[in-house]
Amino acid sequence: MEIKKTAIAGTLESSDIQLTISKADNGISIDLQSDVKKVFGDQIESVIKDTLAKLDVKDAKVKAVDKGALDCVIKARTIAAIQRAAETTDTPEWEVL
Amino acid sequence: MAENEERLRRTMMFVPGNNPAMVKDAGIYGADSIMFDLEDSVSLPEKDAARVLVYEALQTQDYGNAEMVVRVNGQDTPFYDNDVKAMVKAGIDVIRLPKAESPEMVEKLDQDIAAAEKQFGREAGSTHLMAAIESAKGVLRAADIAAASDRMIGIALSAEDYTTDMKTHRYPDGKELEFARNMVLHAARAAGVAAFDTVFTNMDDTEGFYRETEYIHQLGFDGKSLVNPRQIPMVNKVYEPKAAEIKNAKNVINAIQEAKLKGSGVISMNGQMVDRPVVLRAQRVMSLAKASNLVDEEGNYLEK
Amino acid sequence: MQLLNLKDREVFREWKEFLESLGISNFQENELAQIDSTLGMYNDAGSLVATGSVAGNVLKYVGVCNKFSVHGSHFNTIISSLMNLLAQNDIFHVFVFTKLKYSQSFQHIGFNELAHTDLGAILETGDTDVKDYVHRIPQQPNQVDLQVASIVMNANPFTLGHRYLVEQAAAANDLVYVFVVSDDVSLFSTTERLALVQAGTADLNNVVVVNGGQYMVSYVTFPAYFLPTPDEAITYQTTLDARIFKNAIAPGLNITQRYLGSEPFSRTTGIYNQVLQKELAPAITVHVVDRKQASGQVITATQVREAIAQNEIATVQDFLPATTYQFIQKHLTTLQARIQKGMTIHGN
Repeated sequence: MEIKKTAIAGTLESSDIQLTISKADNGISIDLQSDVKKVFGDQIESVIKDTLAKLDVKDAKVKAVDKGALDCVIKARTIAAIQRAAETTDTPEWEVL
Repeated sequence: MAENEERLRRTMMFVPGNNPAMVKDAGIYGADSIMFDLEDSVSLPEKDAARVLVYEALQTQDYGNAEMVVRVNGQDTPFYDNDVKAMVKAGIDVIRLPKAESPEMVEKLDQDIAAAEKQFGREAGSTHLMAAIESAKGVLRAADIAAASDRMIGIALSAEDYTTDMKTHRYPDGKELEFARNMVLHAARAAGVAAFDTVFTNMDDTEGFYRETEYIHQLGFDGKSLVNPRQIPMVNKVYEPKAAEIKNAKNVINAIQEAKLKGSGVISMNGQMVDRPVVLRAQRVMSLAKASNLVDEEGNYLEK
Repeated sequence: MQLLNLKDREVFREWKEFLESLGISNFQENELAQIDSTLGMYNDAGSLVATGSVAGNVLKYVGVCNKFSVHGSHFNTIISSLMNLLAQNDIFHVFVFTKLKYSQSFQHIGFNELAHTDLGAILETGDTDVKDYVHRIPQQPNQVDLQVASIVMNANPFTLGHRYLVEQAAAANDLVYVFVVSDDVSLFSTTERLALVQAGTADLNNVVVVNGGQYMVSYVTFPAYFLPTPDEAITYQTTLDARIFKNAIAPGLNITQRYLGSEPFSRTTGIYNQVLQKELAPAITVHVVDRKQASGQVITATQVREAIAQNEIATVQDFLPATTYQFIQKHLTTLQARIQKGMTIHGN
């Protein structure tokens, strides 16, 4: 899926994660901020990367501000941000949810 | 009517569908039903995000034995179709239709669910539905709405929209809801489905909350919709059977077992025949007593 | 969370009283006029507990009562609601000016500090940042070995005075960056000003003309450049502007020299020049160049704009490079129409 424009999903509230996804031309880059980055940083980034891969996003710049989100929340926010950035919100890719 | 077995539905807790903290913790309060909301508590630009969040939570979170309900957006919105598809795919127990005003609306939801079950390979008929009555039209057609689908498990009164439609607002004594409550309750009972009372939003008025809950319990509602988990033990307390009721119910259950052992089709207690309503009430009391931790699995009364 | 209509007197009064109780006191007309939208959060009792506003891509009037909020949760809620509101208008690059003590709170939710003084800090977040901005500016392969100078100008429009300043810098340095102020609030549009600077310096092959973006003398860093403001605020804003230039822009481009025109007329620009000299040294040497004169007069862009308004452009022909003069001749009616519509020709 192609990132057409910048999009944001999620919030800065407790247990959530705010994800900003924008265009890039050289693969995936993730800028993560989290209070638990030392312990869970790799885990959070791998959930984001897996979700991007599932939706076939090859180039994207991701800024993530984590407020203690569970994996399912990270996945949900990543999907929402990608769909907004790729302008496919109204036609979700059901098979990869 | 979607089921024969009676399920406890004392408490249906509303959880805003775009709030991860609340979605995550929804299972810990012991609500009989958890209702994730994609409708009024979610702002328009967040509809898509809430849908995905609830979907992913349903895939991964453990909500115990609670019945899982999702309130989708109305059929007049662009979000309805994808809400229904996503929730059926997620394997939700019940889809709640807001602003139900006609049996046709329920029939449409029934068909949309059936199509989604087929599309995503879910067992046909496994997704139930319920309808919220939120207007004068809905109240007047409650009986038809309640009987409109085999998937129907219950109907709920939603008083905020209803009182607005009636050109009034909510009062502490609830007189403005008298007709609607009775209509919804009768429609539910006639169709053999559950009846849910509306929410009580003033968290500071504990006395008022108990008064209202006792009232709807007396009328015969299965339970109440809630916006705050603190209200769950309060509702459960109202629905808790009295010691004498439990004792009587146990006698009835014993009589049933005795009749079974004897191979007799007739159940009698103290020399009198026990008819079906008495049996049903006894079963209901015992399941309430178990849920309230008043008896153990064998039905032995637990001293508190 | 709801949108507040500050035009409603009752809403405005409550909002203002709430912010005043938190020590926010600047409710000047021209500050308020900048606000596009305001959000408010109420508690169950119906009192305001948090608010924040957006003006363009800048967060303003953020106030949170933490009495009943757990670990700044109201703060996080209001900021993410403001960001989601901006996102609906496709604004993803967000700035905030804040008291120094709140800089940490913003950094905690993904903002990066661009600069701070004792009075306050400026931070940014979003899909792009100052590193991206610097990265996009063309560089020479051997730039680390070059002496690199810089000039920041609005050039509304580009005059021989500007040209003189650029020439001085070009003669004394290996490379000169001319940053053109990017906010579109001047008689000549940003595109026009950029094009005229480019055309007017095309023969100087060590000059690179760059859009100054939001990091130099913009509505974001230096609102007083565009709005009447007390001296104290000008000093504060220009200090931040200077520090952003020194810390975030100059190092990546190896800029060690900055050229300024002397400022006999504008009080705001005068203060700016003083602050730059104080702040940029010693890492960056500041050169103040006396204004060029023509026909015994100091050249100013203000006179050029006045001549356009008076329909007497021949009187300023001596002030302008041929490229700028031809452009004005060709577009005179368009420019005059802009003035007719209310575009101010005074100020910058």
